[in-house]
Amino acid sequence: MSSLLTLRNLSAPTTTGRMAMALPLVSGLLLIPQAWLLAHLLQGTVVDGLSVSLLGAPLVYLALLMVARVVLGFGADVLALASAEQAKSRLRRTLVETLFRKAPIWTASRSSGALSAAMVDQVEALDGYLTRYMPAMVQAALLPIAIAVAVLPVDWFVALLFAITAPLIPVFMALVGWGAEAANRRQATAQGQLSGYFADRLRGLVTLKLFGRDAAEIEQAGAASEALRHSTMGVMRIAFLSSAVLEFFAALGVAGVALYVGLSYLGLVNLRFEPFSLQAGLFCLLMAPEVYQPLRLLAAHYHDRATAKAAVAEIATQFGSASVEDDQIPSATAVPATAAGARLVLHDLCVDAPDNRPVVCKASFSLKPGEHIAIVGPSGCGKSTLLEAIAGLRPYRGSLLLDDCELDQIAPSQLHEIIGMVGQRPLIFAGTIADNIGLGDRTADAARLQEAARRAQVSRFAGQLPLGLNTPLGETGLGLSGGERQRVALARLYLRTPGLILLDEPTAHLDVDTEQAVLDELMGFARQRTMIVVTHADAVAARMDRCFRLVDGQLLPMPVPKLPPAGRRSAA
Amino acid sequence: MKALLSFFPAFRPVRGLFLLTIVLTTVTVAAGIGLLGLSGWFLTAAALSTAGAAFNLFGPSAGVRGLSFVRILSRYFEKLTGHSATLRALSDLRRWLFGRMFARLPLPVSIGRGDLVSRLMADLDALDTVFLVALGPIAVAVITGIGMSVLLALVLPVAAPLYAIGFLVATVLVPVALVQVSRKLGNQAAEAGAQLRTGILESLDGHRDLALFGALEATTDRIGVQAERLSMVKQKLGRLGSLAAAAVQMTSAIIVVGTLAAGIDAVSNGRMDGPVLVGLVLAVMASFEVSAVLVRSASRLAGSIAAAERLVDVAGGAAPVDGVAPEVSLRAKAGLVFRAVDFGYDARAKVLNGVDFAIAEGECVALRGPSGAGKSTVAQLLVGLLQPLAGTIHVGGVDMAQIPLDALRRHIALMTQDAPVFHDTVRNNLLIGRPDADDTALWAVLDAVRLGEAIRSLPGGLDATLGEGGQSLSGGQARRICLARTLLSPAPVVVLDEPTTGLDPQAEAAFLADVPRLTAGRTALVITHADVPATGFRVLTLRAGHIVDEAAGPA
Repeated sequence: MSSLLTLRNLSAPTTTGRMAMALPLVSGLLLIPQAWLLAHLLQGTVVDGLSVSLLGAPLVYLALLMVARVVLGFGADVLALASAEQAKSRLRRTLVETLFRKAPIWTASRSSGALSAAMVDQVEALDGYLTRYMPAMVQAALLPIAIAVAVLPVDWFVALLFAITAPLIPVFMALVGWGAEAANRRQATAQGQLSGYFADRLRGLVTLKLFGRDAAEIEQAGAASEALRHSTMGVMRIAFLSSAVLEFFAALGVAGVALYVGLSYLGLVNLRFEPFSLQAGLFCLLMAPEVYQPLRLLAAHYHDRATAKAAVAEIATQFGSASVEDDQIPSATAVPATAAGARLVLHDLCVDAPDNRPVVCKASFSLKPGEHIAIVGPSGCGKSTLLEAIAGLRPYRGSLLLDDCELDQIAPSQLHEIIGMVGQRPLIFAGTIADNIGLGDRTADAARLQEAARRAQVSRFAGQLPLGLNTPLGETGLGLSGGERQRVALARLYLRTPGLILLDEPTAHLDVDTEQAVLDELMGFARQRTMIVVTHADAVAARMDRCFRLVDGQLLPMPVPKLPPAGRRSAA
Repeated sequence: MKALLSFFPAFRPVRGLFLLTIVLTTVTVAAGIGLLGLSGWFLTAAALSTAGAAFNLFGPSAGVRGLSFVRILSRYFEKLTGHSATLRALSDLRRWLFGRMFARLPLPVSIGRGDLVSRLMADLDALDTVFLVALGPIAVAVITGIGMSVLLALVLPVAAPLYAIGFLVATVLVPVALVQVSRKLGNQAAEAGAQLRTGILESLDGHRDLALFGALEATTDRIGVQAERLSMVKQKLGRLGSLAAAAVQMTSAIIVVGTLAAGIDAVSNGRMDGPVLVGLVLAVMASFEVSAVLVRSASRLAGSIAAAERLVDVAGGAAPVDGVAPEVSLRAKAGLVFRAVDFGYDARAKVLNGVDFAIAEGECVALRGPSGAGKSTVAQLLVGLLQPLAGTIHVGGVDMAQIPLDALRRHIALMTQDAPVFHDTVRNNLLIGRPDADDTALWAVLDAVRLGEAIRSLPGGLDATLGEGGQSLSGGQARRICLARTLLSPAPVVVLDEPTTGLDPQAEAAFLADVPRLTAGRTALVITHADVPATGFRVLTLRAGHIVDEAAGPA
């Protein structure tokens, strides 16, 4: 990640990028003949007393030069824009790829507001650097020298003045901009915090309102917003100060040239072999601001660079500090030969919770193909963590064999073909109910979606909605109750053909009636497939072949609970 | 544009600073014009003068020095005041807008969380253009244009109309045309940005499920396409801006060449002095500093207008009338009464159909029923998140319709089914229930919900930060944090919507058995699909939208 994310890599020159930097340079060089022509015209009028008709040709040339510079400027803008947008687009894609290479538990442990701010806002913050700073840097490096060279035949002293003063300016600027990067870093952090704060609080707005906390939260949002303002102002102040310093030196330079040329005219200074013509003097005067212009441009965009550096640092912070790095390494290539049901063997398996507390230690058991087991235990004991490890979502120690292949050697794509899992908080994304079910298999047609919805008892509630399965769902599944979300997730599973089914409290939010209906269909689907269900409900555990209790990191066999006759309708 | 203008009042408190900024900017521009004009005139005059002694060197050179320092200082302070005022206004605006989110609950489902964050951050920042790069520069451009036109009319009348028209084109027509042309693109850019953010937030929340379903690659492509779309729109917008900038530069080239030609003619006919011509041409060139800035701002103005529209949309237009409700006193003794209450999002498909029940003070009632029977709807009606279609609800002896929301929420504490654990400390998560609770009270409530031990074992205890969505806690523990928060509230009525989700049967039974004790002295309504203990509860059953059985719980 760190090797990927440097400003230099980001601005790796493409053909477009190179052109975008070359065109303004050409346009800048054309300033030299433009100033020469203007000075020539003024000399012709004021000193030589020529009329418009005699000066027609230079006037036309001047106009043409100006037009050429406008066209060049436009071309440079368009190219810079294109290359910057390409770079940002590429970076965003790379960031998504980086994210998805990490384990999902890494993502779950981060603030999604801050991560998304890094991918959207911080990448956007590179804009100024890519479109403005880079071309300005090239101009600042070359144009002052080119102008000094062009002025040399006209007046050696002015050329010397340019050659000495121009390079000094960046030195002073660097001194002033010393704190710019730190200030930018603070600003980027404040921005990430505020955006993370909003993302977090918006999830629970109703709760906050119900407790009458709206005023206090608004106060807090105001305070965070003020913090962002202060840090932004800090960045601005430095940027303004460094450009003021630059303006000061540029003004000194221009005034120096004006004074020198003026005094030469008046004969008070005599460093030349021949007297100054008006054209030569005006040319020097017109060139003087242009020597400093690229540097002023660079200064104006200097904070773009600082902003971009801060943005890159923020992105690296968000994405680089992974404690669990890339545990789904692409080098894993084992391909287990899985029949309808998978065989699972745990040997001395140890799994740690996110806080490094072991949740399972030295667990050993094996599952025959087609076997169904329940894991029960007090809440918070780590049942879900164990299930996630078996799904390949968490690192483990010891051995976890899926059809005789070590789990962490199986390529993720293979693994997810074999394992079908429904977790406790399934993702419901913005889209229709059918879209959400279709996550299970994007190629599923309407009939298969209907069938999956029926089996998962989604139709029970979807059938009452005017749009049925085409009802749109909000971003976090607003409008669906916990039980309804769970059933949509089950329907996804029914579109697949997993050899190993992992379920985390599949009936947690359901009433007895719906629970029985869901279980009946589930047992039908799970016939011949291997299944592990984490559950609190006796109604679920009672239908399994075997039952384990997870206590203090130990998986202890226990008898399968018996249900009172009323609850048992069609046991598997 | 109307949307953008509606944010003007937000800038009112800082209008003094803005005025100062305009004055300073005008001074900066004028000093720049004066500087170049004076230098040109001075040099030419010096070149033409033959005897050094006769020429007054002191005045012009002091003028040049003075003008350059004035320009440096005024530029520095102009930027400082302008940005300071704008950022202050934006910060206030952001706070106000976040407040509007509360006023608008429940939020429209059509706007996702990523979109909302986008609006609160990026869209709001885009409003900085209102003054910084639009109003301010426009004002300065008008002042500069008038000033220079008057000057030209005095010394070179032939060139004045050309300058005035050209300046009008460069500072008014081109920017206005640009804004008009790029408005649609501005909207598209804001939308594309919000879509990208929503797509990213969704895939962050659902990373695990996407991995499990092998949808990571497809999701990467989808986000990639969203990023591309944003890039395309931004490129188009940028190109329009560059085109406008080119148009302005072209106009200024025409004016410079035209003024020059007219000036040459005037000088050769003896109507004007040579030095004045040089000064004038250089001054005209300097005055285009203003229009160059203006085009850059205009290209951003389109984005600002789109942003403003999205902000107005989310702020929900005019503020609702609240706070005028008469003072009511809710008597806890009167309990809760539902009389023939109907509710439905659609009158044809009612969720509740004639719900009747009464809960007396201090009673502990369990509301049971199958999924989708409308149990949670009852809770949301009770706290005013939803309004009944028909029938009446009395809380504390007063008709709901007469109770201000604030008073209602002080009276009833509801733990919703989707109550989240916030990314904050344990303490702050609990204090939401009662901001003035001390640590003793916090530990007491944590112990009461059987969470004390778990929190004590966390590094930092009450100050331990809970991860986003409380994901470092198990599902059951997260629910218990929300429960503790609710119990901490001093409200005389407590409503718990599925409080035991995620608990194992033993813990669930133990917890429900605790509820009468935990809510002793308060009225409690527990909505659950779990079996409730034989003692301590009165059971109501909701089926197909009405209470079917108001018998006591199984004895």
